[in-house]
Amino acid sequence: MMRLRIIKMTKPKVGFYGITGCAGCLLSAIFNEDDILPLTKIVDIVAFPFIKEKKDESGFDIVFMEGLVASKEDLRVLKEIREKTKVLVSLGACACTGGVPAFRNFIQHDDYQRLVFHKRMKLEDLEPSPIDKHVKVEYYLPGCPPDKNEILTFIKDLALGKKPKRYDKPVCFECRLNKNKCFLDKGELCLGPVTVGNCNSVCVNGGLVCWGCRGPTPDANFETLISLLHEKGIDIVNIRDRMKAFVGLKLPEEEKKNEQDYKT
Amino acid sequence: MSRIIKLNHITKIEGHASLNLSIKDGKVKVCELQATEGSRYFEGLLKGNDYYEASELSSRICGICSCAHTVTSIQAMENALGIKPSKQTVLLRELLTIGERIRSHATHLYFLALPDYVGYESALAMADKYKKEILRALRIIKLGNSIVKVVGGRDLHPVSLTVGGFLKIPLEEQLAGLKKELSLVKDDAAQTGRLFAKLKYPNFINKTESSSLAQNSEFATLYGDIKSESRAFMQKQYKKYFKEYHEEYATSNFVVKEGKSYRVGALARLNNNHKLLSSNAKKIISSSRISFPNYNPFINNFAQAVEVVHFVDRAVQIINSLNLKKEPIKKARLRPCHGVAAIEVPRGTLFHEYELDENGIITYANIITPTAQNLRNIQDDIRAFLPQIMNLPEKKLILEIEKLIRAYDPCFSCSTHFLKVNFV
Repeated sequence: MMRLRIIKMTKPKVGFYGITGCAGCLLSAIFNEDDILPLTKIVDIVAFPFIKEKKDESGFDIVFMEGLVASKEDLRVLKEIREKTKVLVSLGACACTGGVPAFRNFIQHDDYQRLVFHKRMKLEDLEPSPIDKHVKVEYYLPGCPPDKNEILTFIKDLALGKKPKRYDKPVCFECRLNKNKCFLDKGELCLGPVTVGNCNSVCVNGGLVCWGCRGPTPDANFETLISLLHEKGIDIVNIRDRMKAFVGLKLPEEEKKNEQDYKT
Repeated sequence: MSRIIKLNHITKIEGHASLNLSIKDGKVKVCELQATEGSRYFEGLLKGNDYYEASELSSRICGICSCAHTVTSIQAMENALGIKPSKQTVLLRELLTIGERIRSHATHLYFLALPDYVGYESALAMADKYKKEILRALRIIKLGNSIVKVVGGRDLHPVSLTVGGFLKIPLEEQLAGLKKELSLVKDDAAQTGRLFAKLKYPNFINKTESSSLAQNSEFATLYGDIKSESRAFMQKQYKKYFKEYHEEYATSNFVVKEGKSYRVGALARLNNNHKLLSSNAKKIISSSRISFPNYNPFINNFAQAVEVVHFVDRAVQIINSLNLKKEPIKKARLRPCHGVAAIEVPRGTLFHEYELDENGIITYANIITPTAQNLRNIQDDIRAFLPQIMNLPEKKLILEIEKLIRAYDPCFSCSTHFLKVNFV
């Protein structure tokens, strides 16, 4: 159980919203089973359409925004909320990087254009993009899904007036502490070295290689990892595709340029 | 007298949807339930990826049903590649989907549906007066989460499953821990059954077909033929009976069975398979005033509560029968191939279909979600329900319609992202 402190200041007004997405990040917040009720003692959840009918949208101290911008309606909601919000938090991979749906930016345009079945959709659709392409974002809680404890710690920190710290270490750091066998040694396509951790290397613990859902570390050395994986016999196209699966739009600029070369 | 009702941004459902209603001279002229989500084109995204990547990618279709998409995707690939999973693998997959079913139902029942019936706007607002119930809900959700985490390796978007087996199996002591947690939640499950048996559901019947998987010997979850009141057929014949179509006003697709609307989900499953429920689940039904088959859509809430009881029992049964040992992952022999799989997931039957080329690359993907199948039925129910509530004041009328929509536990994230090719 979360320890409660008496805070003199008024409770921060918090909103949880989702635009186009899968609701998994919002669920991660709710799935803090022991802490969701105590949480309402330190923050005032004024809007959460997924589980709440009433909403007070007059102004927010903090808003957690799940999902990516994929339609004009998404953009309208996002801009409207941004204007009323002091601290906007990108919640999860889609909001932070565009996530899996943004992979569409890298596949042949014709391929998905054929999936559009009527005019209205064509008018409504926007290129899938993370929310910071459109509005200013104060904090990022990455991951697909974000770690539920990370969400909780983040809210507690903000409610107590502490500035949440950004985590910069790669997934490999925690993975080693967890004593997992290294996938790279086995020649498997693992993106741990270039991906931001603080996920407790949950995928590798569970037997899966890191797909890079939390985005690149500030000092990620993609070229070294690509050549290492290539030496182990993995096709470069596959390596680059995997790197784009979750965070393609947020790979460093040069990576994107390489991508152009490789396409032509 | 004519009335136009627009319900924008319906709350307490998964995803974004709105409803347009137009009533003229006591007749419903327009009834359009539409998703307002942006489109993600998942079937297009899957194309070009390796067969073993589909489960990770398609899991992202839905946070609530991530395990469901993972397992369905894997089973469709195995059917395509001719891989027969081991008994242990099948049991672990079933256990995983049970964990997801339990937490999904508990979330829907207590957080999305119950507030309407006790006169609150949300479960959070109920927490003072109904603390016992909310804490019970959270314990059940926690149990579901524990199962998913132990078997799948993570709370959402599971990581330990792959085509041909498990990348990592749970430890014996983890299963023992689950068993203990299950025994503690057993009473909570029964209380849930009793609570949802005595809610005052609107008196409304609309007899449409119930479609679900069915097996002779057990309450079907991962295998079985597609069964309804009229017929049963094999999973791979699904396209012969189910047709997807589009409406100009909606970004989701609709499905009909032999030209008619039909229902999937807990109520449909109980209508078809209630005789195969656990004895505790049967007891909940026999001590209530509700019987199955039942054609009141609001009873889907009670059916979900009954399933919570059943699946707590089934989870214990699975854990007791497991004798965990490390097994190699069955290898695929690549060749051009095609496979379909359907499993029962919280909201109904989920279909995945794939075509692979000789290198195991996906060349075609088709996914039909439960909500896409229920959408037409929800609309038809609203049309049929309206005459009996027409005279209510607007606010009450809207609440009754929302209750009806929520009873289906619709998931609009899922339903919107499968827009199909319309070759003209």
